[in-house]
Amino acid sequence: MIFDINTATGHWPFRRVPNQTIPLLRCLLAERGIGGAAVANTHALFYKNCQDANLELAEAIADDAEFFTGVATLNPLYAAWERDLVTCTEELGLKALRLVPRYHDYGLDAPEAKAILAAATDLNLPVFIPARVVDVRQRHWMDTEQQVSVEEIGRFSLGVPGSRIVITESTVSVPELVNDDGTLKYPGLYFEISRMPSAYGQTIAGLLDAVGADRFLFGSGAPFKEILPSLLKLDTIDCAEDTRRRIAHENARTLLETNTCS
Amino acid sequence: MKPTDLHACTVIDIHNHVWAKDGELDRDRAMSLLKAADCLGIDTVCVSLPLMTESPTPEEFRQANDMVFEALEMSDTFRGFCFVNPGYAEESVAELERCIVRHRMVGVKLYHQYRICDPALRPVMDYAAELGVPVLMHAAKLRDSANVARQPRVSHAEHFLKAAHMFPNTTLIQAHIGGGGDWEWNLRVLEAMPASAKYFIDISGSVVDAGIIRKTVATLGADRVLFATDGIMEEGIGKLLEAGLSEEQLQHILSRNAERILF
Repeated sequence: MIFDINTATGHWPFRRVPNQTIPLLRCLLAERGIGGAAVANTHALFYKNCQDANLELAEAIADDAEFFTGVATLNPLYAAWERDLVTCTEELGLKALRLVPRYHDYGLDAPEAKAILAAATDLNLPVFIPARVVDVRQRHWMDTEQQVSVEEIGRFSLGVPGSRIVITESTVSVPELVNDDGTLKYPGLYFEISRMPSAYGQTIAGLLDAVGADRFLFGSGAPFKEILPSLLKLDTIDCAEDTRRRIAHENARTLLETNTCS
Repeated sequence: MKPTDLHACTVIDIHNHVWAKDGELDRDRAMSLLKAADCLGIDTVCVSLPLMTESPTPEEFRQANDMVFEALEMSDTFRGFCFVNPGYAEESVAELERCIVRHRMVGVKLYHQYRICDPALRPVMDYAAELGVPVLMHAAKLRDSANVARQPRVSHAEHFLKAAHMFPNTTLIQAHIGGGGDWEWNLRVLEAMPASAKYFIDISGSVVDAGIIRKTVATLGADRVLFATDGIMEEGIGKLLEAGLSEEQLQHILSRNAERILF
C-alpha cells in the first residue's frame, strides 16, 4: 500500500498538465500501485476567494472518498477564512489545510499566518506548505519565482506549539533540521520525499536516522510530475521494511486520520 | 520496461560528475555514486569535474582532470570527460590531448564560461572533431532572475542551433533538458535543428514534469536523445521509463546512441 501525500487536481494555467481531473488522476495513481492520495485544488492558488476551490474539490472527490483525502487551501489575508476553515473540516470533510504564501502574497511571519496555523492546530489539522509548485527556473513570466525555505517554515512552526506542518516539494539536509546536540530544531515539521535524493548518498536514509522515520512521507507531485521517480526513491532507501511502510503510507494515515478521531 | 529490467540492459549515464573535497577527489562521494549506479542498473557512468568559477585557469582545470583520472582508477564503471576553459585555447587543446589521447577520456565537458556558439570555442571544437569525441555543454533556458544573474553565459537551444552550423563536424550534446529552465521553449526551438546536425540532448536534471521525455523524443527522435542523470539518479530513470516509449526507443536512449558517439 502506498499513500501519496502530494497530488493536485485542477487546471494549471502556465503549462499543459495531463491527468488534471479526479478520475484521470485516480487512474494514473492506481496504475502505479498507489492506493490513496491527499489532493488539493490548483485553482485555489489563483482564485481570490479560494473557498470556491475548496467547494469544487469536495464535490470532485465526493464519489472517491475512499481513495482521495481532500486538502483545503485558504488565504489568511482574505475575508472569512475562519468560517471557511470550519466549513472545510466540518461540512466538506477536508482533512488538511494547505498554505501557499508565495501565491497569496503574504509572509509566514505575518500575524494572519500565525492565526490560521493556530486555528488549524486547534482543529488538530495538519498544514501542508509547498516549498514551490513548479521549478522556478522554468517559471512563466506571470508566475512567482520565490520559494519558501525550510528555515522560514520551521520558524513559522515554532510560533504555534503543537502545530504539524508537512513541507512538500523541498529538499532538506540534516544540518537544517538538527541542532549540534542532536535535538530537532523544528519538532513540528514533516517532509514529503519527492525532491530528496535517495540511492546516491542515501540522503533520505541519513535523514531518517537523524530526524526519525515518523517524519517522512511518500509524495509524487502528480500530475505535475512523473510518479516513478518518487517510487524509485522509496524503493532505494537503505532502511528496514517496516520503516519503508511507514514512509509509504502509515505516517500519512496517522497524520491525516488523527483529526478525524478528534 | 520496469526499473528492475534495467539490470538486463546496457545503460550508459553520459552526464555525471565526481567532485573535489578539500582540494582532493571526494572518494567517498565517488564510491556512493558507484553504489547508486549499481543499485539502479547503470553500467557506465561518464564523469567530469567542471569548475563553476568565472574563468578557471589551466592549472585549475588540469587539477580537476587529475581528480577524474583518480576516479577512473577506482572503477571500470567510470569513463572520463575532460573539462577545459576555452578562454585558454592553447592550454585547452593541450589538455584535451593529455586527457583524451594519452589517458583515454571519451569526451569534452564545457561549463558556462562561454556559450556553445562563441567563436572562442573554435580550437576546442575543431580538436574534439578531429579526435571524434563529443562536447557536452551545460545548458538551460533560465527564467528566474537569480539564476539568470548567476549564469549570464549559459547556453540554450538557440545557441546550439548556431553551434551546429558553426561546428558541423563536432558532436554536440546539449546537457539536461530537465536541468531547470524552460524545457518547452528549448524543444520548440529545437524543432528547427537540421537532421544533418551532429546534435544530441541528454535527459538529466531534477525536472520530472509530466511528459518531458515523451515531448523531447517526439521533437528530436529517439536517436538523438541520451540517457543521463547528472547525479539526480531516480529522476533520470523514472522519467525515462514513464515516457511510454517502445523497447527499441529505450534501447537507443539507454545506450546505443551513446555507444555510437563515445567508443
